[in-house]
Amino acid sequence: MKLKNRRRERVDVIANILIFFFAILSLFPLYWLLTSSFKSSSAIYKMPPDWIPKSWALTNYQALFKNQPALRWMFNSFAVSILSTCLTVIFSALAAYAFAKLRFRYKNIIYALFLSSLLVPKEIFVVPLFKIIMAFNWVDKYAAMIFPGIATAFGVFMLRGFFETIPDGIRESGKLDGANELQIFFRLCLPIAKPGIGALFILNFVNVWNDYLWQMLVANNKNQLTLMVGTATLMTELNPNFGYKMAGAAVAAVPMVIIFLCFQRYFTKGITIGAVKE
Amino acid sequence: MKKQKVSWKESVTGYLFILPLFIIFAVFYFYPIIEGFRLSLFNVTAKSTTFIGLGNFIEMFHDPIFQLSVKNTVIYVVFIVILTVGIGIMISAAVFDKNPHYVSFIRGCYYLPYMVSMVVMAMVWNFLLNPSNGLICYLLKHWGFKIFNLLGNKKTVLPVIIFVTFQFNLGQAIILFIAAMIGVSQDALEAAELDGANRIQRLWHVVIPAIRPTILYVTVINIIGVLKMFVVVQLLTAGGPNNASTTLMYYLYKNAFTFSRTGYASAVGVIMFIIALLLMIPTFHIFNTGETRG
Repeated sequence: MKLKNRRRERVDVIANILIFFFAILSLFPLYWLLTSSFKSSSAIYKMPPDWIPKSWALTNYQALFKNQPALRWMFNSFAVSILSTCLTVIFSALAAYAFAKLRFRYKNIIYALFLSSLLVPKEIFVVPLFKIIMAFNWVDKYAAMIFPGIATAFGVFMLRGFFETIPDGIRESGKLDGANELQIFFRLCLPIAKPGIGALFILNFVNVWNDYLWQMLVANNKNQLTLMVGTATLMTELNPNFGYKMAGAAVAAVPMVIIFLCFQRYFTKGITIGAVKE
Repeated sequence: MKKQKVSWKESVTGYLFILPLFIIFAVFYFYPIIEGFRLSLFNVTAKSTTFIGLGNFIEMFHDPIFQLSVKNTVIYVVFIVILTVGIGIMISAAVFDKNPHYVSFIRGCYYLPYMVSMVVMAMVWNFLLNPSNGLICYLLKHWGFKIFNLLGNKKTVLPVIIFVTFQFNLGQAIILFIAAMIGVSQDALEAAELDGANRIQRLWHVVIPAIRPTILYVTVINIIGVLKMFVVVQLLTAGGPNNASTTLMYYLYKNAFTFSRTGYASAVGVIMFIIALLLMIPTFHIFNTGETRG
């Protein structure tokens, strides 16, 4: 029996060694991105490459910020992400609360309708959606970048469970105090769902920030692009200098890395809510 | 069983609460779907919009590029989802019960590429796989491989895209699986150990059945994700070489915005909608635990 234990242990150890190795390897593209962005145009084409740049050149970054409205892109991304996420969280919280606690006709059918939207991604109907945006005259405007993204049932799906755990007694006591439904919602129930709200906020923020296809379609003016779309345009630029392109990608990556490092806990929590039964 | 219908009067508050989200959905989701179905029956040009019934669909089924995009999309879905879910489970199973700092580190390493977005990753891979300047091509040449332009060769381009996307999706799958496995009842695991089950048996008979809902969730999320995959195709290969790596989504995009064929592209959208539904049915059937939410 003891011999079997040792053999099993070995498989586990070998598996973990491999996993650890590949985990480090997963970071390789990002390491390559970072080091390449600091290489001058002569160093970047050197083969075999300098694994650590011999001299850290800032020329790529200088060229990036001089030739492209990179800061403006970052601002656009930030504005769109914050506004879109705030609206999504508020609307989703209201709806999730209604599905969890309020009674209304056809509630289950409507909820099923919302949930089924999770199976069919918006991207499939990007053509008529774009027509609507053009009809509203919203091309190149923040409205086009913000509103379609709010049509996601993910928030409702995530928050409904939170609101369901609130004991009915709290609502009853609120009613006895003479509060209306909205007041009960905002003052009593919303604070209880704060962890869920926080997780949804972070997740949604990142999703909107990283969104590409739609943001690319609705913004034509160079100054109106979001960071992801603007960075991608670097790939088709005539400038063949890869260091320059890597600098652009690095700038695009930094905000998310910072958010990840600061909010890792919220992330892990947010992703698992609704997917993992606790 | 008493079926008491809620009165309209009592329903008002509920409707008001869901109204903001519902309006957004109606305008930006449900209406485009209906309009998409409608437009698919028309030929739309700058001058006129003519009803052509199933004309778009007939043309589509005869287009070899369409057929190729369907084939590629199915290949992508099958391989990427199986790899992501399978290897995700294996990695999570080996790691989930170890030291929490180690778990956090592993999770972080695999998830970071997903965090920085596909745009960033696609740009790096584009550089790494560049035939004249890329590191990978240089290494392949150096080690004597005849084929080194992986993105320019129609035999290697699909595996490359599959690898890049699977590696990208793996992070999210690992986070979900690890969390699910940590939640598995300790009693069940201990009972199995007392019965003499080794680690692999414990994993196969106790842990994996316990996380079935999560497996379903990850599978569905990945199927949807691969169906709407766009960035990696556009930034790595632009559908090439010669449409070898094109997907339905990319085909739709090109027809809609490069060739300005609104009606035709809407028809492609309808087909994608049907394929999405068709993929979901067997998926739910395989993993259905009989539980319903709602």
